[in-house]
Amino acid sequence: MKKLQGIAVSSGVAIGQALVLDYEGLSLPRRLVMSGQEAREVERLDQAVAATCREITRDRDTVSLELGEKYGAIFESHFQILQDTKLLGELRNLILQQRLSAESAVQEVMRRYAEVFEKIQSRNLGDIIDIERRMLKTLVGRRREDLSKLDAPVLVLAHNLTPSETANLDTNFVLGFVTEIGGPGSHTAIVAAALEIPAVVGIGSMLDQVASGDTVIIDGDKGLVIVQPDETTIARYRIEREQLRNQATRLEALSGKPAETQDGVRIELLANIEFPHEVEHCIARGADGIGLYRTEFLYLGHPVEPDEEAHFLAYTQVVQSMGAKPVTIRTFDLGADKTPSLPMPDREEERNPALGQRSIRLSLRYLPMFRTQLRAALRASVQGNVRLMFPLISTLHELRQAKMILADVMEDLDEAGIPFDRTLPVGMMVEVPAVVMMIDHFVDEVDFLSIGTNDLIQYTLAVDRSNKDVVWLYNAADPAVLKLIVRTIEAARRRSLPVNLCGQMSSSPIYTMLLVGMGLRQLSVPPSTLPEIKSICRNVTVTQCEHIARHALTLENARDVKSYLRGELKKWVPEIGF
Amino acid sequence: MNQTPITRTVTVVNRQGLHARAALAVANLVRQFDAKVTLILDGQRAETTEILQMLSLGASRGRTVLVESVGPNAETVADAVAGLFANKFYEEE
Repeated sequence: MKKLQGIAVSSGVAIGQALVLDYEGLSLPRRLVMSGQEAREVERLDQAVAATCREITRDRDTVSLELGEKYGAIFESHFQILQDTKLLGELRNLILQQRLSAESAVQEVMRRYAEVFEKIQSRNLGDIIDIERRMLKTLVGRRREDLSKLDAPVLVLAHNLTPSETANLDTNFVLGFVTEIGGPGSHTAIVAAALEIPAVVGIGSMLDQVASGDTVIIDGDKGLVIVQPDETTIARYRIEREQLRNQATRLEALSGKPAETQDGVRIELLANIEFPHEVEHCIARGADGIGLYRTEFLYLGHPVEPDEEAHFLAYTQVVQSMGAKPVTIRTFDLGADKTPSLPMPDREEERNPALGQRSIRLSLRYLPMFRTQLRAALRASVQGNVRLMFPLISTLHELRQAKMILADVMEDLDEAGIPFDRTLPVGMMVEVPAVVMMIDHFVDEVDFLSIGTNDLIQYTLAVDRSNKDVVWLYNAADPAVLKLIVRTIEAARRRSLPVNLCGQMSSSPIYTMLLVGMGLRQLSVPPSTLPEIKSICRNVTVTQCEHIARHALTLENARDVKSYLRGELKKWVPEIGF
Repeated sequence: MNQTPITRTVTVVNRQGLHARAALAVANLVRQFDAKVTLILDGQRAETTEILQMLSLGASRGRTVLVESVGPNAETVADAVAGLFANKFYEEE
């Protein structure tokens, strides 16, 4: 039994078989292919051999050219090793006769050679390992794309998951996931929460300690991963999983009741979604609307840009399901950690992607893509209660530019006689500190504000939330962040402008009383946390919350704020503040 | 075709033994001739066309290897292979 500590990003407990995705640790499982699939597997092997040979000859040519023939010769010998008829025969036999997967065959055969080399103390042991690694990389690289086609429940363990991989996960079979890198607020974390499966990220080196097929427990509340747990631990977690389910059922019972405080103030609880299918969860848990529909997931995991119809279909599905309740469509927030595989002409490698051409900047740079999305959102606006929101605005000029393009698209629709909601509210995200400094101007030009704490924290505290060495500095409770939030809320209230908060902060129970106390009457949270946040709202009074906010704002550092809030939560809502 | 194998006995004299680049040199040499050449050490046989098999022999410095050659060029190639071993595969040490 091994316990590994990471960062908890999506709560819950998952127990099951590991599926290790990376080749780096060389700890791939011994896997069999289904009967009848042997020939296909041999074909995979042959393709991998051919691809590896191509890669090796490329290296050979480069090295020969740069360092001389003598150095290139080592790759020539690798190349010839892969032409070895006995070796290839052994590999094929293992697949055909023992139904081993190509990966397992490669591992078994190469390890056999490695053992021989070790015994004869050959100085070429490293070469064998190198060739094995190359082969596995080619094979696994291909295998990773099959993540959407699983046939048994698994816990996915990887060095990292790309946005398209997470977006394409087959949720029927992926019970949870763990990555070696990543932090709270990274796309992996957001997707895990959206899928409502337990996830732990930033666990550090792990893949050399676990093999596919091992039993693994993911504790998404404590950020703990337990490899090959003993029976007692499994039993304990089974009980915990059961209790969590019971608590969830108890909280779900609140779904028909409003998020109203003890002193009768109605808090509007909206939901953050990434995929149209999540609307079901929102409705089941009694969400008052969609506060944030992250449309960038339409772009991720697809090699081609979604056309207007693809946008329209997705929006229509969400808008119609929500009926008269508001749906806030946020235009695509791509770039930084969410890079689509779309062709973007003359887009250069970013040295500092979080501060680079991302989000609204990308929209204003690739106008046809932006206009396509706006057209679809406008067309969907007649189907229900749609609001439109621009992400990562940092200057007034940028906001005006985005609004001008929107007006232009409206004009086009008018000319084409296509109906849309002319009074559609247009809002913006507040996630750049500069905007907060200029908030008095912004409130004159939008219909609503939404505070995006994930980026606001990152930009205010200058912390990369996916860098595990500095992630401890990333803290929603930091007084500087709280002051920016207060300032935004107050500016909006002076204009009676609706303002909500949609970052991860809103879904963490310890902040609910603080946010209500600071004046927020709208919170947008992941659907899974709706019942919990609602239950807090129903257990407190606004007077209490205001008192808590006043005190919290006098504290000097994040740690004090957090421990104060934790204590208050425990005091007022003990069943949640465990 | 001469079916009686030509044999030569060679001793590995280079420090690193029959390592990857040396085996590559043997393979490249044999390929130029019309002959089938096998290296034998402690009864274990390795075709000289197959580098991996040659490396698996464990022909380290001081070991004695039997070169067995069959085909029209058997003599020539057996001598050439023996020459490679004796000349430390023409590598700097």
